[in-house]
Amino acid sequence: MIQDLLRISHVSKHFGGNVAVLDISFSVDEKQIVGLIGPNGAGKTTLFNCITGFFPATSGEVIFDTKKINDLRPDEICRLGMARTWQRVKPLGSLSVLENVMVGAFSVTNKARQAEENAMEQLKRVGLTDYASKSAGSLPIGLKKKLELARVLATEPKLLLLDEICGGLNHTETDTILDIIRTIRQRGTTIVFIEHDMKAVTSICDRIVVLNSGEMLAEGNPEEITNNPDVIAAYLGGGHHA
Amino acid sequence: MSFLQPLLSGILTGGVYALAGIGMSLVFGVMNISNFAHGDLMMLGMYLAYFAFTLLHIDPYLSLVLIIPTAFLFGYVLEKLLINRVINHPHQNQILLTIGLGLIMSNTALLAFTSDPKILTTSYSSSAFNLAGGISISVPLLLSFLITCVIITILYVFLSKSTTGMALRATSQNREAAQLMGINVAKMSAIAFGIGTALAATAGALIAPTYYIHPLAGHSFLLKAFTICVLGGLGSVVGAGVGGVIIGVVESMSSTYLSSDWKDVVVFMIFLAVLLFRPQGLFGNKGGQS
Amino acid sequence: MKQIALITILAAAAFALPLVIGENPYITGILISVLMMAALSSAWNILGGYAGQYSFGHAAYFGAGAYTTLILLTIYPTLNPLICVALGIIAASIIALITGSIVFRLRGHYFGLASIAVAEIVRLSVLNFDFTGGAQGILLSDVSLWGLDLNSKNPFYYGMLLVLVVTLGITAYLRTSKTGYYLQAIREDQDAASSLGINLSYYKNKSLLISAALTSVLGSLYGLYIRFIDTSAVLDLRLSIEIILTAIIGGVGTLWGPVVGALLLVPLAEMLRSNLLGDTLVKAGLVSETSALGIFLKENLAHAHVLVYGIITVLCILYLPKGILGLFRRTK
Repeated sequence: MIQDLLRISHVSKHFGGNVAVLDISFSVDEKQIVGLIGPNGAGKTTLFNCITGFFPATSGEVIFDTKKINDLRPDEICRLGMARTWQRVKPLGSLSVLENVMVGAFSVTNKARQAEENAMEQLKRVGLTDYASKSAGSLPIGLKKKLELARVLATEPKLLLLDEICGGLNHTETDTILDIIRTIRQRGTTIVFIEHDMKAVTSICDRIVVLNSGEMLAEGNPEEITNNPDVIAAYLGGGHHA
Repeated sequence: MSFLQPLLSGILTGGVYALAGIGMSLVFGVMNISNFAHGDLMMLGMYLAYFAFTLLHIDPYLSLVLIIPTAFLFGYVLEKLLINRVINHPHQNQILLTIGLGLIMSNTALLAFTSDPKILTTSYSSSAFNLAGGISISVPLLLSFLITCVIITILYVFLSKSTTGMALRATSQNREAAQLMGINVAKMSAIAFGIGTALAATAGALIAPTYYIHPLAGHSFLLKAFTICVLGGLGSVVGAGVGGVIIGVVESMSSTYLSSDWKDVVVFMIFLAVLLFRPQGLFGNKGGQS
Repeated sequence: MKQIALITILAAAAFALPLVIGENPYITGILISVLMMAALSSAWNILGGYAGQYSFGHAAYFGAGAYTTLILLTIYPTLNPLICVALGIIAASIIALITGSIVFRLRGHYFGLASIAVAEIVRLSVLNFDFTGGAQGILLSDVSLWGLDLNSKNPFYYGMLLVLVVTLGITAYLRTSKTGYYLQAIREDQDAASSLGINLSYYKNKSLLISAALTSVLGSLYGLYIRFIDTSAVLDLRLSIEIILTAIIGGVGTLWGPVVGALLLVPLAEMLRSNLLGDTLVKAGLVSETSALGIFLKENLAHAHVLVYGIITVLCILYLPKGILGLFRRTK
């Protein structure tokens, strides 16, 4: 068993002269759920983009499954077993819900029939079976988030990066998604989780990393984080409901 | 032949190209639309200057006083009637719409004016100043360059000082934010397209005395204008200005040292080279891989 | 599978068509144009409609096929034309790979613009070189293959039909395969596609190569059929636009859209070219032959088909952006 499935060491990202992420280091053990929190503009999504190859890090190392992946493209990283969802959902609008998930499934099989079977299984997992033939663009936001989840699950990732998968959802919808995430973890998938909703994060995460203005503010278990004065200050200062 | 001669004529012609390029870049910046009718709008400018000269006996350079407002109005109305309806469509639909409009313009001109090229000959068409070292400067080229400089200066002041100009630049920077700030972006689009059209038509009118005027003349200028925009960075007005001069010089140099048959090939090669090595353009920061 | 069956049935019907209409070179000529435009547009559709990469320079691949074939046959008159077709595919593939490697890293407007630039470089080079016949073009006096009567139009009717069927077959197959799903994912959202493990530039280049190769075969066939080519016939931007327009009118990204588009546009262009429309208006008594309008129509309508294309393009983008088949597509 690999202790740290993902290790980020001294990762920084500059855009021109602006520093979006500065010297971040943490690691994620296998089968853990790690929460990545912080006020808006803290650099959470940028860090995701660095890890998944969308914006290569300016400096530092991203190591996944003992392999340095800094210079790999997003699709290569996905095929290594790290998949992400998008904060602003990106459904393949004119394809059906089933076809969306099939696209994900094709990263592990070349056969359309096999992809369809896998996709149906994922749809069942997130409760979208009834919508399989609907066009993805027409779904309401709550279902689009579920579709997003089903689609990355179909790539059979070892590590799942979820970017505000509960954002914009009501309590019932959030609870459903959190339940799904728990079952995903039980099956052995490791999860890194960006979220605003502190309640969601503390209820599900083993460890939490807090970012503020691109820098690491704190790291620890949920209890430590909720009692950390710096974190409380940052959150209240950032005007966020904790 | 001296190296300075092609350099100088290149700069002078490039000024006019810059005008066409700036028009296209402004439209791209504000509306995020690649206007494939730009060359045909230039062609209309050429014919406007020609008919102002032959029918109304107005000097082609003076006729700008009529052509600029006419073209602005034409562009403004065109945007209000047609272009704004595709502003949120995929790029390819915008491109196809402007291609369609371009085809309508050029082929209507073909029906109305026939395919015979027209020549606009003024009393000073072939006169030139002779400088020391055997360098000569064509009078129409020099005049059009000077007028270009005046127009670009006015445009620059307008964009940086006037309220409308600033609103245009804000829209160009970030359409959504501009809208939230209370800028009427729909109106800005129409104004940008009007100015773009006016600049294209002006460029057309300015080159009318030195080029063959025919209905399909716009095509070669269209690709030149794109090259200029990409070179300067899509959406960058200053970049397009510099890009225009660079392309003018490149063209003139390749005509002199290579062959005039190959000058367009050289220009398009530069276009591809920019895409390959510096897709954000020499000065731009918009577009590219983001 | 349903689509494959439909392709087979229609192909069989098209196969029998020359037997029904008999020896009529005029009608056969129009049918060849319809088949060719349907095939060109279908080939474009693989890249433009499925992968969402609008190429505005497909004339370059058509011209590559036509010029390679005719240049080779002028130099080596005994060469088997099929070898020329194969070499045409190679020439087109080289152009496609160059274009793809430059622009597929970029997004947005760039591919469209660069595809035009490449096509213009090809056109101007052909125009300026000597071995391509320059502005005069190339005239091929004689050609033979397997003892077929290549002065008759029927072999070309079947040739075009074959390429169309192959193109439609490839499209139908793609739609149900991994590649087809990946192309559509790229069309819908490149970031999402990339995050799901899709190598964007590999799949874009793959679809461009398939599309360019098929287009080049059609160019070769056209060259052998007409036996005279110049840049304005096979390399012009107008041809590229006609190809796209055909797909748009029928329905971009649908299997049958390009065929529907060709069935409508080619006969329309022919009617305008032969002035059938002007004559009909006069004969129907709607316009007097001697009136100013009548004379204008008679003299100019033949040249107006590009104008009509322009008007159709504008109307189509504004009112029918999904094409005719888009109207019938079930809303999910």
